[in-house]
Amino acid sequence: MVTWADELRERLGAREIGEPRLLAGGASKEAWAVDADGRPLLVRRAAGGVIHQGTLSLEEEFRVLEVAHEAGVRVPRPYGYLGELGGREAFAMERVEGETIGRRIVQRPDLAAAREALPLQLAEELAKVHAIPREALPFLRQREVLEQFESELDSVGEPHPAIELGLWWLREHRPAPLEAVVCHGDFRLGNVVVSEHGLECLLDWEFAHVGDPREDVCWPIVRAWRFGADGLRLGGVGEVEPYLERYAELTGREISPEDLHWWEVLGNVKWATGALTQSRRHLNGQERSVELAVLGRLAAEMEYELLDLLELVS
Amino acid sequence: MSDRPSAAELVEATREFLEQEVLPAARDPRLRFRTLVAVNALGIAQRELEAGDDDLLSRDEAADLARRIRAGDVPDGALAILKRHVAAKLRIANPRYLERYR
Repeated sequence: MVTWADELRERLGAREIGEPRLLAGGASKEAWAVDADGRPLLVRRAAGGVIHQGTLSLEEEFRVLEVAHEAGVRVPRPYGYLGELGGREAFAMERVEGETIGRRIVQRPDLAAAREALPLQLAEELAKVHAIPREALPFLRQREVLEQFESELDSVGEPHPAIELGLWWLREHRPAPLEAVVCHGDFRLGNVVVSEHGLECLLDWEFAHVGDPREDVCWPIVRAWRFGADGLRLGGVGEVEPYLERYAELTGREISPEDLHWWEVLGNVKWATGALTQSRRHLNGQERSVELAVLGRLAAEMEYELLDLLELVS
Repeated sequence: MSDRPSAAELVEATREFLEQEVLPAARDPRLRFRTLVAVNALGIAQRELEAGDDDLLSRDEAADLARRIRAGDVPDGALAILKRHVAAKLRIANPRYLERYR
């Protein structure tokens, strides 16, 4: 048993809990499967550090989950914020069965029907997220994306002229902003539980913020989140158009091909920079891990993609 | 001059050991995944030690270009130079990724 198992049982008010099992995935957060009095729970607990500056604390993330749940967004039922477990913040939520690994979602033969359903389901769920009243989550920060990515890139301490070119182009072609909404912040396959019926629920709310809705809408289109199924621009599962049309029907927000392109370039800048900052957690000793280390080299994939996207319009 | 095996050959031997002996014995999915990541990391190191690439910008060249672009002074041909530079990085980091663009 992990050292904090008794603490967990007490906080949950459970009579007995099973042995917590550490699940794969999650670089900045641990995910533990635990059964408490027969209920399947997932305990989300802090790991080493943070990926981007300005991620939510687990207490804030739990509050976002509660508000999203109340607003009818499909999320795991929130059970309780647990405070510190073995010295690290944690909360408990329902453990929803299904596939979360992006590569398997785009490949598994038994998920073919799910892939067909996902584009519209993703649009519908995102429309609900963007309708969450901002007042319900007053602690969410509004940020200026380009300045934020610039300062994150500066923190890496290594020249990346390809990302600089992306940032320059984005500054030169910035679209007029839309009214800011509650954004999920990491809306893509990999953060969605998928069953044979398609979308079951949205996970990983740690990047929630207030911002331009197009940032969320265009994020699952980024090539890295197609998991090798490059031809299907929406997350490797479908075409973009039906997804954008459904989102527009529900929200009244039409997203032009030019907007989509701008936010797709932005998404690649964001993940290229994110990969570099994650590798720094290894390099600066915050969290030694070969997984984090190689991300420093894989950032070149997003750099190449963003240059390719710039070439399309030059 | 050091004796053989060279640095690249030592990295290669370690990568082969992980791939052929550790991986088949690893049952825990997390350990398997991390072993695959380690094999990949050693592959990157091996390719870097074996290859010199003329398209790769030096650190000074990259820093100079990055500074100019940040200041809004984008040199002519920057996009083409950078595409070659990043392609050279990918030939080391993940050569198969480039095939996705053909």
